[in-house]
Amino acid sequence: MKKWISLAALATVVVATASGCGSNGNNGADSNNGAAAANNSASANNSASSNNAAASNSSNSTKSDPVELTFWGDWGGEGQKQFETMVDAFNKSQDKIRVKYVLQQDMITKFLTAATSGGSPDILFWDRWRTSLYAPKNVLHPVDEFMAKDGLNKDDFYGEALKELSYQDKLYGLPLTVDARALFYNKKILADAGINTPPTTWDELEQDAIKTTKWNGNKLEVAGFSLGDNGLFNMYLQQAGGHMLSDDGTKTNFNNDQGKAVLEYWDRLLNKDKVYKVGFEQGLGEGTDAFVTGKLAMQYTGPWMLSTYKKYGKDLDFGIAPPPAGPNGDKGSVMGGFGLVIPEGSKHQAEAWEFIKWWTANKDNALLWAKTSLNIPGYKPALEDPFFKDDPFWKPFLDTLEFAKIRPAHPGYSVMEGDALIPNLQLFQQSKQSLDDTLKKAQTRGDQLLTDNAEVK
Amino acid sequence: MASIGKLNQHQARTAYLFITPTMLLFLAFTIIPVVMALYLSFTNYDVVSRMDFVKLDNYKRLWHDSLFWQTFKNVCYYAVIFIPLNILISLLLALLLNFKRFGVKLFRTMNYLPTLTSAVAAATVWIWLLHPEFGLINNLLSYVGIVGPAWLAQTETAMFSIIMVTLWQSVGSNMVIYIAGLQGVPDYLYESAKLDGATAFARFRYITWPQLRPTTFLVSTMSIIGALQLFDQAFVLTQGGPGNVTKTPVYLIYQQGFNQLQMGYASAQAFILAVAILIFSLINMRISKSEESIV
Repeated sequence: MKKWISLAALATVVVATASGCGSNGNNGADSNNGAAAANNSASANNSASSNNAAASNSSNSTKSDPVELTFWGDWGGEGQKQFETMVDAFNKSQDKIRVKYVLQQDMITKFLTAATSGGSPDILFWDRWRTSLYAPKNVLHPVDEFMAKDGLNKDDFYGEALKELSYQDKLYGLPLTVDARALFYNKKILADAGINTPPTTWDELEQDAIKTTKWNGNKLEVAGFSLGDNGLFNMYLQQAGGHMLSDDGTKTNFNNDQGKAVLEYWDRLLNKDKVYKVGFEQGLGEGTDAFVTGKLAMQYTGPWMLSTYKKYGKDLDFGIAPPPAGPNGDKGSVMGGFGLVIPEGSKHQAEAWEFIKWWTANKDNALLWAKTSLNIPGYKPALEDPFFKDDPFWKPFLDTLEFAKIRPAHPGYSVMEGDALIPNLQLFQQSKQSLDDTLKKAQTRGDQLLTDNAEVK
Repeated sequence: MASIGKLNQHQARTAYLFITPTMLLFLAFTIIPVVMALYLSFTNYDVVSRMDFVKLDNYKRLWHDSLFWQTFKNVCYYAVIFIPLNILISLLLALLLNFKRFGVKLFRTMNYLPTLTSAVAAATVWIWLLHPEFGLINNLLSYVGIVGPAWLAQTETAMFSIIMVTLWQSVGSNMVIYIAGLQGVPDYLYESAKLDGATAFARFRYITWPQLRPTTFLVSTMSIIGALQLFDQAFVLTQGGPGNVTKTPVYLIYQQGFNQLQMGYASAQAFILAVAILIFSLINMRISKSEESIV
């Protein structure tokens, strides 16, 4: 009897875990379908009722009700307010289209189920690097025809950002924001160390970092330069004159002299000059941020930190400079940012395009967006404004964006970086692995992951 | 005779009626998803555009996926240290707090409290405590002249830190289970043992421990499952780093399924994980059965 009971208990436990795992790999099949179905019926009701209203109205009078558009994004809080400011401005500017912003915390997962089962939104706030993974699956609508019809000039946008929104010569949206990392430096710490201008080369950066680092016995009190983010390897590699992927975009391309130069530089900074300590910044959030509390003299970060750092006013006197150039004078930074795209499942693609065009391809609106959200818009004419041109904080970013490159558009790129490259770089930084081994292992494993994740059709 | 049969029949019908809602839910949310996941593990399902049968391709790819096997090594290392410590500490706590003394309930509550906190919130606080320069732990160590490591950032200590944090969070609930088990041990066994002159240790060894066998079996089985499915703490504390030493199978499954949209491959990984859990649980059952029988 006892045996029977324990067997039964074991069986239930195993089934329960299997279903736990099962639902992980099986999201489309159950729980989310329910949510999507609910969404579906809700939006179906909406469109049905608005259609009805439109139909009855048009029989009565010639003036029709506005088209209702749904705009999905995953920015809440401040971001949501910024989006709503733009949406309201658009709704006020005309009376044919009404846009509504809907906050979706788990946007991508929701979008996946919506894309397959209807109920798709009309406009999607889009992290651009995802394009290479999603566009081949035909869930996004190309905008080339709209572009041609309205005579928009592609040169008005950052070319790299458009490239990131493209797949096989088709463009899938327009860039809303562009960003790139630049060098943030604490003016006071640098001045105390007798440095008046920020570094412009790797050697200067190294010397300045040495001068600003302060150790108290075994305790690091002020780190000269942050080496906490191994994910910036891409940026350093560009500065060393290299590229992450081979020219055909299928293989890694860092197990060479350029990759070696980056790792030797890191090794010097970390283990010989000791300007940083592994784990120094880990877990320090806003308020305890090492740069804010004066425990870090220089770091690479992006415009998204500006509003946080500006809050501290006089307590944090900082400056920004374009990233220092590598040994052969090469400059490099990685461009990222968001765009707006139209899902293939949208029933009002033309109207959705009107909204996207109004927001991203109009100088005044792009500028309104920039001032509301403190982001750099992807539309270049808006950057001519004094708001950007004359601001010492924006200028270095605009300079950096001139040479910044996007991440390679390979659907397996982020996995390659996260699972093959960064773990090996971490082992190298902690002297657990030689330089040659690190690059070789990262290359072998990286090539494998690129191949495994290449097929997306 | 016939009327008794009729009554039984009627009772049986009512019983089925009563369990139907539960069974339907179980079918819809457990059985069907498991079967679906098994089927999907033989396809290249990507949620949006395709679901073709690819036979054993996913499992073949899995066989050569060195990272997947490394995550198994990671959780095995975790399990080997976590499970015995978990049983030992929660049993000791239970023995300590099983006495009927003034204030003992307060201590039970305090030991149980960490279980009530959300895993993610607790892990976030632990990140601060474990900070190499400004964290409480290393500050305390510095008073006795020890320079503490960068707990979460160094390959040697990262997994150890996760073990400690998860232990802190899980011993409370296991302690409660053990206290319940201890209170189920009949007093006459202890009385007669005392009359025969058994020492406290002998009483524990020959009465308490064997009597607690079903409890230990439950606690160890749950620990095995929890260990193999480790995710939140590892995700928040170290994001699988440094150098992949704290990456776990569930982390990979999540990434493969939701970031790379390879649900078919992710389902295959999930099934291998389920099989692994089954195997380890069976081993655990065999071990617990091979001990001497309950008095």
